[in-house]
Parts: sequence; C-alpha cells; structure tokens
Amino acid sequence: MMLEDELTVSTRERDGVAIIDLVGDVTTFAEEKINSAYREVTSRNAQHILLNFRQNDYINSAGIAILIGIVTEVNRHQQKLAVSGLSPHFQKIFRMVGLAQYAEIYPDEEKALEAFRQ
Amino acid sequence: MNQHGPQPDAHERVIELRLPSKLGYERVAMDMASSVARRMGFASERIDSLKTAISEAVTNAIEHGNEYDAAVKVVVLLTARDDELIVSVADQGRKPLDQKCMATTPSIEEALQRDDKGGWGIWLIRELMDEVEFTTAPSGGNQIRMVIHLE
Repeated sequence: MMLEDELTVSTRERDGVAIIDLVGDVTTFAEEKINSAYREVTSRNAQHILLNFRQNDYINSAGIAILIGIVTEVNRHQQKLAVSGLSPHFQKIFRMVGLAQYAEIYPDEEKALEAFRQ
Repeated sequence: MNQHGPQPDAHERVIELRLPSKLGYERVAMDMASSVARRMGFASERIDSLKTAISEAVTNAIEHGNEYDAAVKVVVLLTARDDELIVSVADQGRKPLDQKCMATTPSIEEALQRDDKGGWGIWLIRELMDEVEFTTAPSGGNQIRMVIHLE
C-alpha cells in the first residue's frame, strides 16, 4: 500500500524564474526533496523562485512547516518567492497561516511569471 | 423488528476505524471521512476542511499519543447525524496533548525565527471545524472530538 512519499519535485527555469514543481502530497516525507530543490536553485543564484503546486490533494501542517522553512531561507538570501497552482482550499490555508504575506499566491504559473516580470 | 429487517438505529450510523500508528495511514481516515461527508451532502469546501482537520488529528495521535508504535491503534469514530458529522480521534496517551496548542494562535513571524516551525495542526482543526473538544478517551489517551454542521 502506497501511503508515504507521494511527491515528485523537479526544477526548471522560465524567464529568469526558478520554478520548483511540486506534484503530489506535501507532508513530512517531502522535507528533503523540497529543501534540496531549493538549495539547487539557490546555488544557481536564483533570485525569483516559484513553487508551482500541482495535484496537491494533501498538504498538512508538517508540509506547511517545511514551506515556512523555505520562507526563512528566502528572506535570508533576499530572494523573492511566489506560489501557484494551489487549490482554493490550500490557498485559504496559506492565507490563514500567514504564508501569503511572504509568498504571493497566483492561480497558475503564467500569472505568476507575468507578475515577476513587472 | 419487522419483516424488512431491523429498524435503523443510532449504532448503524457510527463508523469505527482502527489505524496502525504509522504516518500515511491518516490518508485512510481522510478518504473515509470524505466519502461519508459527501454522502451526507456536505459541500466540497467543507469536505476539504474536514479532511485537513482529520488528517491533523490522526497525525497528532500517531506522532505524540502513540509515539509511532504501529502495533498501537488510533481509533477514529465517525457519527453521522441528520444535521452534523461528529469525528472523534483517540490515542493511547503516551504523551498528553500540548495544552498550549489547544488555546493559542500560532504566529508565522515567531515560526520564522524558531528552529521548529511546526505546531499548526491543532490550531487548524480549531479554525476549520465548527466545534472542537479535547477530552480523555476511554483508553485513557487523548481524544479530540470535532463536529462539522450540515448547513
């Protein structure tokens, strides 16, 4: 039974924005994958980072803690962070927790890239 | 009892789930609660809230109450009433629930400064459910009882 680690993390670049694609569930099992993707784009001097969520039926409080960790690093490195692709439910959770103050929320990748260009 | 079988009674609307205390099994509770709530007629955004709340309650029970001992069960009870769904999640109480989490609102500004950036679970449950109560389970463990109303 597949109950763990249902997340695929990959990185790519578009218009000077480092995009970290998160496909699947963001729970405690995601920590190393997300942190290493962040370290990878940061080692390439990424200034603008987009966490692009897809098919995330399940983001729990452990996942939120991982993302707050990313915000800490983003602030330390003076980068700019945005998120896209969250379902309305998780957009609400991100606003409740306060993550939206540190990472602008966009409905999709195109809208986020447009905002980074401005 | 009539010829069509027993009359429905309260017991028939209670569903019990016993989960191994291993992370990942909270998904089974989420799926079950979602399925019951959908059949009761809850709107999809309410079902999303319920899924988050139940996942946090079960995860807490696995991690703290039962300390990841897969041989020990987390007991989830769903009671479907005409106008509400009651979910109770009980563990063995190896560690008591953090009293602080039951009443306080965590702050992201503080979390950004701390090494431990967690502690959002119980707060999320309180925010997302209509009623939340922290009690002691018949087993002596922690029990979270949460209610979501059908509007």
